[in-house]
Amino acid sequence: MNGKVSALIELGAGFHPEISGRENVVINGVMLGLTRRQIERKLPEIVAFSGLADFIDEPVKTYSSGMYVRLGFAVAVHVDPEVLVVDEVLAVGDEAFSRRCLDTIQEFSARGKTIFFVSHSLALVEELCDRVLYLEGGRVKGLGEPREMLAAYRLDVSAGEGSRLLGEHEADQERLRASVSPGPPAAASSGARETAPPAAEVAAGAASEPGERPRRWGDRSAVITGCRLRGADGAERYAFRTGEELTVEIEASPQRALSDFVFGVGLFTPEDVCVHGTNTEIDGLVPATFDAPARVRVVLPRCDLGPGTYLVDVAVHARNGTPYDYWRGACRFRVDSTRTEAGVWSPERRWEFGGGVTWTSA
Amino acid sequence: MERLRDLYRHRALVGVLVSRELKARYRGSVLGFFWSLLNPLLMLAVYTLVFQLLLPNRAATTSPYAVFLFCGLLPWSWLSAALTDAAASLLTHGALLRKIVFPAEVLPAVAVLAQGVHFLLALPVLLGALVLGATGVLGGSVTLGLPLLQVPLLVVVEAVLLLGVGFFLAGLTIHFRDVKDLLQTLLAIGFFATPILYTLGEMKSATVVRLLGLNPLAPLFGAWHDALFYGRWVSPRSWAVLVAVSAVAFALGYLFFDRLRDSYAEAV
Repeated sequence: MNGKVSALIELGAGFHPEISGRENVVINGVMLGLTRRQIERKLPEIVAFSGLADFIDEPVKTYSSGMYVRLGFAVAVHVDPEVLVVDEVLAVGDEAFSRRCLDTIQEFSARGKTIFFVSHSLALVEELCDRVLYLEGGRVKGLGEPREMLAAYRLDVSAGEGSRLLGEHEADQERLRASVSPGPPAAASSGARETAPPAAEVAAGAASEPGERPRRWGDRSAVITGCRLRGADGAERYAFRTGEELTVEIEASPQRALSDFVFGVGLFTPEDVCVHGTNTEIDGLVPATFDAPARVRVVLPRCDLGPGTYLVDVAVHARNGTPYDYWRGACRFRVDSTRTEAGVWSPERRWEFGGGVTWTSA
Repeated sequence: MERLRDLYRHRALVGVLVSRELKARYRGSVLGFFWSLLNPLLMLAVYTLVFQLLLPNRAATTSPYAVFLFCGLLPWSWLSAALTDAAASLLTHGALLRKIVFPAEVLPAVAVLAQGVHFLLALPVLLGALVLGATGVLGGSVTLGLPLLQVPLLVVVEAVLLLGVGFFLAGLTIHFRDVKDLLQTLLAIGFFATPILYTLGEMKSATVVRLLGLNPLAPLFGAWHDALFYGRWVSPRSWAVLVAVSAVAFALGYLFFDRLRDSYAEAV
C-alpha cells in the first residue's frame, strides 16, 4: 500500500487518559505520521471540528465516550491520509457529529482518496461505498456493486436465519409432543390462565413456566399433533420474504368421531398484536365428520407481512368456542424484506404524481 | 538494518511518548517533576542516616558508604524500572498494536528512555552527594575530578544495553506472561549478584570474585563506581567489554524482537 494510511479501527486508540485533550491530539497526530509542527499548525482546526473547545485542556479521562471518538475522528481526518480505514466507529456520537463525519468521508472520496469502510450497517455501506467486498468468516464471498453485494448478504442472512428457525421449530415441537400424552384430559397444574376454561385443560409442559401464560389448553376431544409452515414449493421453512406464499399446516387427530369442529389459525406479533385470525367457521365451512387423523392447510398466496418475527396460534375447537386443543405460538417465523419499510403490513403499492414534481429515473 | 533506520525515523514519536509518559506520571501530584529529584534525595537521606549513625562500621574503601551505595543504586534503579516497564510495554499499550498501524519497537524504547529521564533528573542529587562526600564530613573520601566526564558515555552504554534487553523481554512477555513475575525474582537476585552494595575487590574468596565477574553487569557497575565514587578512569579494556556487551545485547534483543514482530498484534 502506498501513501499515508489513517486507520480508524478504534478512534482515540492511544489517547492517554491522564493528559489533556490538546496534548493527546499532538501525540496522536505524531502517531499517525505528522511532525510536531504540522500537527500544532492544524490544532485549531481539529479542535473546531471536534466541537470540544471548552474541554480541550481537560484530561481525556473526563471525556464521555462520544467526546473521545469525536476527538479521535477529528485527528484522523486532519492528518490528511491517502487511505482512510474506518471500522465500525461511526455508531457513537450525536446525530450532528455523525453527519459531519459522513460528510467528511464523502468529501474525501470526492477528492480521490481511498476509503476502506468496514461496517455491518447496510444503509451506510449503500450510502458511502462504490465497491463492496463481502466477507464471511474471513473468506471473500463477493466483490462488486454495492446493490448486488448487499442483496447477496441479505439473502444469506435470511437463509441462515431460516435454517436456524427450522431447527428451533423441530426442537420445540419435539418437546411439546413429548409432553402431551394422549388419553383423558388431565387436571392442569399451573396458575394464572384467564383465557382458558379451568377443569379441562392440558398444560403443555414446554411452556408451563410459573407465572407465564399457558401455551396450550383444551379438553382434548381432538389433539393437534403437529403444526408446520411451508413455502410455495411445499418445503417446510420458517423464514419468508415479504409477498411470498405461506402455508400453515395443522395435523390433528380426534379422540372420538366429531361432527362439531372448527379449525382456526391466528398470526401474532411478539407483542401479542393479532395480525390476522381466521377459522373454517368464519370462512364459511360447515363441519361434517372428523373421525380419523387429518391434515388441514390454510394457504396464503401472498403473505404481505412487513419484516419481523411472527407467531402462529392454531386451534381446533367446537363451534360454540369450547376448545378441544388450543395451541398458542405453535410456530414462529421471520419475514425479511429487501426494503426497510415500517409496520407489519407491506402492501403492494405504487406512487402517482401530477403537477410540478419530477424524479430522476434510477 | 532497515528496521533500525525505521526506529530512528520514529524518534519524533518516541520523543512525544516519552514526554507523555513523564507528564502523565506526575499529573495530579502537587510537587510534579520535583518528585524525580525528591525521591532520590529522600533515599539518600535514609541511607546516610542508616550507614552513618546506625551501622557505621564499613570498610574504608567504600566509605562514606551512603554515597558509595547511591552511586550504584541509581543506575540499578534505572535498570530495574526500565526492564520492568519494557517487559510490560506491549501488553500495557496493546490497544495501539491492535487498533492502529503502530511501530511496536517504539514501546519498549519509550519505557527505557522515560526511566532514563528519571535517572538523569536524579543525577544532580548524586552530584550533591559526591560533593558532600568529597568534603569529608561523612568520613572516608570521595575523589571528584575529570573522570566524571565518563558519565555521559556510561549513560549511553547503559541505555543501549537496556534497550536490547528491553526489546528481548517485551517480545518474550507477549508470549509468556510468566516473564513479568520471573523478572522480579531475577532482578532481586541480580541486585545482590551485581557489585552495587560492595566492590569485587572487597571479596575474600577468589572463586567468588571469578563467579561474580561472570555477571555481564559487573563491568558496568564497576565502571559507575570508578567514574563516580573513586574518580578513576575506566580502563580501555573495560570500555571495550562494556561496549561489546551493550552492542551484543542490543543486536540480539532487537533481532529477537523483530523476528516475532508479526505475532504481537495477535497475541496481545
